[in-house]
Amino acid sequence: MTMNANSYRLPLLRRYGRVLLPVAGLLLLAQGAAWVCGARWGLLFNGLAGSTRFLAQLLSPEWSAFGDLVQPALNSVFIALVGTITGTAFSLVFALLAASNLAPPWIRNSVRALLGMERALPEIVILLFLVAAFGLGPFAGVLALTIGCVGMLGKLIADAIEEIDPVLIESIQAVGATRAQIVVFGVIQPILPSIISFALFRFEYSIRLSVVLGAVGAGGIGFELYRAFVMLDYGRAASALVVTLILVFLSERLSGWLRKKIKTVGGVL
Amino acid sequence: MKNPSINVLSPAAYRRRATAFSATVVLVVAACLFMGFDPYLLITDLHYVVDLFKSMSPPNFDLLWADKTIGLSVLETMSMAFLGTLFGGGIAVLTAFLSAENTMPVRLVRIVTRTLLSLARVIPPLFIILVFVAAVGLGPFAGMLALCLTTIGTFGQLFSEIIENTEPAPADAVYSVGATRWQVIRYVILPQVTPSFIANLFYAFDLNIRVAIGLGIFGGGGIGFQLFQAMRVLHYRDALALILLTMVLIIASEKISDGLRSRFLIVTLAR
Repeated sequence: MTMNANSYRLPLLRRYGRVLLPVAGLLLLAQGAAWVCGARWGLLFNGLAGSTRFLAQLLSPEWSAFGDLVQPALNSVFIALVGTITGTAFSLVFALLAASNLAPPWIRNSVRALLGMERALPEIVILLFLVAAFGLGPFAGVLALTIGCVGMLGKLIADAIEEIDPVLIESIQAVGATRAQIVVFGVIQPILPSIISFALFRFEYSIRLSVVLGAVGAGGIGFELYRAFVMLDYGRAASALVVTLILVFLSERLSGWLRKKIKTVGGVL
Repeated sequence: MKNPSINVLSPAAYRRRATAFSATVVLVVAACLFMGFDPYLLITDLHYVVDLFKSMSPPNFDLLWADKTIGLSVLETMSMAFLGTLFGGGIAVLTAFLSAENTMPVRLVRIVTRTLLSLARVIPPLFIILVFVAAVGLGPFAGMLALCLTTIGTFGQLFSEIIENTEPAPADAVYSVGATRWQVIRYVILPQVTPSFIANLFYAFDLNIRVAIGLGIFGGGGIGFQLFQAMRVLHYRDALALILLTMVLIIASEKISDGLRSRFLIVTLAR
């Protein structure tokens, strides 16, 4: 019996020996990180237990607040919408400059570096900067989302342009098209479905972002949620949360539905 | 000159496209009017941006060395992201196994875990951090807890889809020789999904660094909080130094996570 157990144990150690070192390293790192974060699990349970009253309040939204929340909710949607559409338009321009089959290498590389640098800036940092320049309000929010959209979609669209079959562009060139015609019929037309589905994807993301950006100063439903929370008006905060959930859910459904439609209609759109 | 196969749209398609385009334009104009968004302001008020840049430059890099709390904040942000990825990712893996059809036979459990996962996905991170700040107080611990939840929401469903997309044939083969469900999970499904789980967790870490910076503003601590403070008290030269530091942090984490991920995938594929 003991023989059996031993012979079972040895290969176990040999089999998992290779995993042992990384796991031990991870645990050690986690210990250190937990110390830096000041993680105290007892505090979490005490805190959650101590805040049952306010958590219960969060589960009972204040129904009369929904009327006031319609306008902020629309503001959030529109910030995301306008930010995404203008951002897509701008990112198209940047993408044309960042595609190796359209732009000379030095332009392509510098535009790509610019887009990469933009992606390294979280939208919320851009918004902090813009709020300092333009003041609070949807203006800064729209601009922050536009800039964020350019960094993300610019690269995606440029990659899509670089994957276009060169024969398509050459054949349009061969019948004597001008440069603008090449761009419209040889570049934008073939990838239009992917551009639209990127934009829809980004719209979903922008809706989520507009909630956070709202709290920092772009206004909208995020600001209402934040203000209600800070003023300990938990009933109102719960209503704002419900409205936000509805927005996120609907935008996801809408974008999924449109994307599926574009996929089935295919080249026609 | 005309090549109907490429360029010319049918009248119906043309009409559809024109309708979609003009509807979008009308919607954007209506949205701008509703919000009071005036694009013209961008031209007339551009000097504010220039002024701000002027008051921000040159960035005050001395701050990064002089102020000891900055280094600690960077460490806090990285720790938050790391622990959020580790714990959140671990819980996401567990819930993914509980919500995938080929690993969890009980339908009720699948429905419950799926609902919880989609709830964690749609609840805005702003709300999560506010609740945790209220529960455990300001600081990176609250940020870390919020990151755990957002990681579960983002990656739980993805992991569950990865599990469901594994090849069914090997599992059936092992079942047919009398293996238990546990053995199938351990010897068939787990080896198939582990590489993509780990690769996705590297990506999650990269994502969490960004989110951690945002959460810092709402009381999560770390470099985001420092930046917010500097902007709020109008120390713009400090703020620019912190913005550049943030960019370096994000680019570095992206490069490291990409490098580790591709190296990891190469090693596992070669094995």
